[in-house]
Amino acid sequence: MDKEIIAMLLAGGQGSRLYALTEKLAKPAVPFGGKYRIIDFPLSNCVNSGIDTVGVLTQYQPLVLNEYIGNGQPWDLDRLYGGVHVLPPYQKAAGSDWYKGTANAICQNISFIERYNPEYVIILSGDQICKQDYADFLRFHKEKNAEFSVAVMEVPWEEASRFGLMVADDNDRITEFQEKPKEPKSNLASMGIYIFNWDILKQYLLEDDADPNSENDFGNNIIPNLLRDNRRMYAYHFDGYWKDVGTISSLWEANMEILEPEKSGIDLFDENWKIYSRTAGYPGHQIFETGRVINSMITDGCHVKGTVDHSILFSGVYVEEGAEVRDAVVMGNTIIKKGAKVSHCIIAEGAVIEEDAVVGQMPTEENKGVATVASKVVVGKKAKVGPNAMVRENVKDGEEVC
Amino acid sequence: MLDNNMSTLGIIFPNTYDKTMSELTSNRSIASLPFASRYRVIDFMLSNMVNAGISNVSIIVKRNYHSLLDHLGNGREWDLARKKGGLNIVPPFSRDDVQVYNGRVQGLTSILGFLRSQKEEYVVMSDAFYATTMDIQKLVETHVSTNAYMTCVYKRYKLSANALTIPQEKGDPYYSYELDGDRITGMQINPKTEDYLNLAMNITVMKRTDLIQAVSDAYVAGQTHFGRDVIMPKLATERILGYEVTDYVAVIDGVKEYFDENMKLLNEQNADALFGGNRVHTKIRDDNPTRYTDTAFAKNVMAADGCVIEGKVENCILFRGVHIKKGAVVRNCVLMQDTVVGEGAVLEYVITDKNVTVSPNQDLSGTNIFPALVPKGKTV
Repeated sequence: MDKEIIAMLLAGGQGSRLYALTEKLAKPAVPFGGKYRIIDFPLSNCVNSGIDTVGVLTQYQPLVLNEYIGNGQPWDLDRLYGGVHVLPPYQKAAGSDWYKGTANAICQNISFIERYNPEYVIILSGDQICKQDYADFLRFHKEKNAEFSVAVMEVPWEEASRFGLMVADDNDRITEFQEKPKEPKSNLASMGIYIFNWDILKQYLLEDDADPNSENDFGNNIIPNLLRDNRRMYAYHFDGYWKDVGTISSLWEANMEILEPEKSGIDLFDENWKIYSRTAGYPGHQIFETGRVINSMITDGCHVKGTVDHSILFSGVYVEEGAEVRDAVVMGNTIIKKGAKVSHCIIAEGAVIEEDAVVGQMPTEENKGVATVASKVVVGKKAKVGPNAMVRENVKDGEEVC
Repeated sequence: MLDNNMSTLGIIFPNTYDKTMSELTSNRSIASLPFASRYRVIDFMLSNMVNAGISNVSIIVKRNYHSLLDHLGNGREWDLARKKGGLNIVPPFSRDDVQVYNGRVQGLTSILGFLRSQKEEYVVMSDAFYATTMDIQKLVETHVSTNAYMTCVYKRYKLSANALTIPQEKGDPYYSYELDGDRITGMQINPKTEDYLNLAMNITVMKRTDLIQAVSDAYVAGQTHFGRDVIMPKLATERILGYEVTDYVAVIDGVKEYFDENMKLLNEQNADALFGGNRVHTKIRDDNPTRYTDTAFAKNVMAADGCVIEGKVENCILFRGVHIKKGAVVRNCVLMQDTVVGEGAVLEYVITDKNVTVSPNQDLSGTNIFPALVPKGKTV
């Protein structure tokens, strides 16, 4: 029983620009939006699009990610044939290798793909927040009789040079690829999501693998090679919500955008496109006599006795009386004690913000920094964490970190 | 986790005392009644058993069990989707003389074959009309160490007004124990006293082989009720011990009691007492976190995921997917799953069942003594 399409999800990224958050876990495992992790989005998209076979390529700090994915049951990806499989680099008869680049990660797992003998392979990225129907993308790919398609977003021209850009004709056929060009010829940014005909992908992976000078990367090697050979390459326009959450500020921003789905377009309440996750299993959250919550998302298990304004509390967060939480992303099981002020920041899982401590500050003209506190860090009494600080170790009582 | 030599299987009777709950149980068993914002009553006992290391649980259902079956599925959420043991749901076995179980004895008779084929040494049986996170492991260990024939759990409890007034012929009998030290020396059926009594929680531990024998004997004698017909006659001859549960127990034996027990959880000490220990497992619905908009005002609220709060909520228990629209005011209410309160509606002392819609600007109120009840799926 062959599969028409299977997905390969690149989840090995270290996410070095999220450093304090990704010291001990891979970027796709970073918590997001109250009860999710980033990888829930591509996994849920797959199952909602009818793709039931997903290979997850892991490399950097895979423990949390492996445990989280488990047998794939929360995403309905525990299947008799197919389902989700975590694919770390492995030892072979003739030596073993880390995944050297995105293409190499797929290349090392050709035998996994061949078990399903698919017609198409969709390559997904594990570090984007996006609700996307891959079935529609596949329909496009088939309609165009393409050998390769890439999902693209229109970006503002002035920002175009930050992206990998696809230059396409009126029929969406790609004629040129520009990687972060100084003078962009197009404003169609690659989302890093590709559909290949499997025979083409395999051929180019093997060719690329034989080239000792290659970086084994899709953007830098595979796509240019396809262009060189004048393959049938098409750009699929996507105009929904999409965010690469590679930096602290973009991660913070994406979380905040969930609070205003009407404006941002990222609606988690969509019954027809649920995002699935492995849940913590706490009882309902509680807001007590002194608690005030507006403009916020609160997850199961939270206890709120202080003020929460324009913030996201993940499961099991305690906000004590007199504490103020504003414009903040507060991850699971963090405790914010009496009188602490937490604003415009990201606080990772299991941190403790002691009494009267101050973390971050509301943005000013000069300083729009998002303070970051790493997982399990204790910020001492009356300590102060400045708006640009990235705190990875405990902060002593009264200490100031900028 | 229970020792290997204390291997135990669990049996839950989800329908006992259904009739005390009026409309709330017209379409469901008492065990599948939504409770504490996110759970069904049965989740508590089922989780207690699982948390004690019991991985073989039978549910002997009697009537109105569609919602319960839907909730339990294959038991995966309680870690009971197993090759060995797991969840075993036993509906009435329909023969020519179609008869629904009357009492535990008949229910147990229908699974005698199953019980004989199991390997576990002990059996713990329980009803599901209470929410507690009591330690079943400790209970079984106590039973084993005291070498009792049977151990019965009780709670020091004052009967609710509802239990006192409900006619004897309606509903299942309840019992209280008379104790001499640990030993149960006497039992009363449907005692009508307003004082504290040792209310039987109908949680019983005994050897599997003893249970098989006792049930077979009672069935042959044409007896039906486990408490009246099995335990009571044996009190004089067998060592039957009482075990007092001192953990937090929410006894749900009437609509008002249901309402009150929900409300009591708004107190942090009570909520911590019930939820501070082992995790209570339940069916996952994959709701997003609850959203409070800029017009929201919430105070003394327990709410599950998936709600949208745009209006004012005070002293309320909100189940998953409740939507309180702008300008609505909801006080002292228990709103079950997916209740929608329209703009400008005012609710006070109301219980809404699942999928209730309250039209905009509608006023609806009950009282502290008689909370108003809106049945499942209704629009008011």
